[in-house]
Amino acid sequence: MADDVKPTRKNLMQIEERIELSERGHDTLEKKRDGLIMEFMDILDQAQDVREDLEEKYQQAQRAIDIARATEGDVAVRGAASALKEHPEITTQSKNIMGVVVPQIESTKVQKNLQERGYGVLGTSARIDEAADAYEELIDQIILAAEVETAMKKMLNEIETTKRRVNALEFKLLPELRENQEYIEQKLEEQEREEIFRLKKIKAKKEEEEKAEREQEREAEAEKERVSADD
Amino acid sequence: MSATGSSNPEYVNARVRSRRAALFAEEDYRKLVRMGTGEIARYMEETEYETEMNELGARHSGVDLIEYALNRNLAKNFEDLLDWADGELHNLIANYLRKFDAWNAKTAIRGAYSGASPDEIQTDFIRAGEFDDELLDSLANAGSIEEIVELLDGTIFEEGLEAAFEDFEDQDVLVPLENAIDKTFYEHLLDDVNTITLNPNSPKGLYVEVLQAEIDFRNVRNALRLSRTGTDLDPEEYYIEGGKLFKEGELRQLVGSFDDLVEYIRDSPYGEDLSNALADLSEAESLSAFEQALDAALLEYSDTLSHSHPISICSALSYILAKEREIENVRAIARGREVGLSVDEIETELVVI
Repeated sequence: MADDVKPTRKNLMQIEERIELSERGHDTLEKKRDGLIMEFMDILDQAQDVREDLEEKYQQAQRAIDIARATEGDVAVRGAASALKEHPEITTQSKNIMGVVVPQIESTKVQKNLQERGYGVLGTSARIDEAADAYEELIDQIILAAEVETAMKKMLNEIETTKRRVNALEFKLLPELRENQEYIEQKLEEQEREEIFRLKKIKAKKEEEEKAEREQEREAEAEKERVSADD
Repeated sequence: MSATGSSNPEYVNARVRSRRAALFAEEDYRKLVRMGTGEIARYMEETEYETEMNELGARHSGVDLIEYALNRNLAKNFEDLLDWADGELHNLIANYLRKFDAWNAKTAIRGAYSGASPDEIQTDFIRAGEFDDELLDSLANAGSIEEIVELLDGTIFEEGLEAAFEDFEDQDVLVPLENAIDKTFYEHLLDDVNTITLNPNSPKGLYVEVLQAEIDFRNVRNALRLSRTGTDLDPEEYYIEGGKLFKEGELRQLVGSFDDLVEYIRDSPYGEDLSNALADLSEAESLSAFEQALDAALLEYSDTLSHSHPISICSALSYILAKEREIENVRAIARGREVGLSVDEIETELVVI
């Protein structure tokens, strides 16, 4: 990486700016990650409770329908179930938790009273009501679990993404930028040293040339004086 | 035989006694409840259900086979009962067996509503009532609920269905139609019996008493269900005339308070028989145990009557109730074993006297 970078002051300034920006971004992302984890822990607790309730309600519903099928017969239970065509309605909206868009699911027409269930009251029994009640509660719980677990999964994905970004900044981008910065600084220092050395050399050479010139001049003057003395 | 001529309770009683002897005893249930579903099916093949099990074996399997075989055997037994009975006895039995006409009418309506095939509807019919095969085939093949309502013109269900069909068209739910059918059945239970001039201690008087108890128990079940669910449904719409326990107009007030309703039942003539179930009911969330206690009480009433007046309609009615209970018990065992209910759980669902 460092080999591709031109060791110029302009690049050094750009890299310094990028380091500063990346460090700020790293801090912000770290805070976001920590915040998301805290929110996630809350949702996780809620999801665990919802899941436990869901399992319990499923067991209850299954038991209620097993009992209804045993006592009323499968034909009667199927008949009662087919007396209703209307399905529960579900509407989804979204809400924002720390920048993560999670669904908000609302259901209607799940819990029904005796008249809304379709089957006649006079020819059926409380066991069918209990099975219908238990399944209505189960459907409500499934909807709640879908909302909470989807939010949890989305939060988890966001935490993963943020964590990857933080790690990329911390272990890849920032080290590379710092390496480049160091490389450029070293190169620039080296260039500076070379320049100084070169200047010194030039200066020394110049001084030598001047000295030689002066020597020549002195010798020439001495020659001139000797010639005039001889005359 | 036929609805004409004079009653023949002696002949019917003799035939019923042999059929009653073939019903499963407590010992059979004890064995069945410990068997797997395959073993139950095999056990049934060695009993009077053999014919039905063999006939239906190619079409159904597992617990479905057991349930359909039970239904078909029930239909066959009740058809035989009608064949044996003559005159007024025939009419009285037929009145009670109309509950299967109500079942078949509701099955056809539900099938048409949910778009089930004629074959599926036919499978669920219990051919034990007055409807002949031709009418049942037409009901199964009817393409719409309107067509079914038209086909039921001329039956006892005609009058109630006319008004209920209008409600159905407004609301698009089957409740009015189903309620109308069931209400009509219960309100015609006491047709052919003049309850005013009837001696309450005569066999027919005691028969009426059982039917009134059945109507009362149905009213009790519905009142408790309405009261427990706390809906704003009008209890009077679900009130069935013909019983002794509630008077018209009384139910609305009672349904408003579950405790008052339980107290009212406790103070009624049925209070003593139902006292344990009523005590449990006040504490328990579920009504099903109480409904089971009602079934057991009715079965016991009819059984007592069949012993006190064997040569009467009482023995036939008692047999009908006992046979229905046997079907329900075997089905409960088979379905219970299928879904893995424990022996204790299944035994609590059985009603054996």
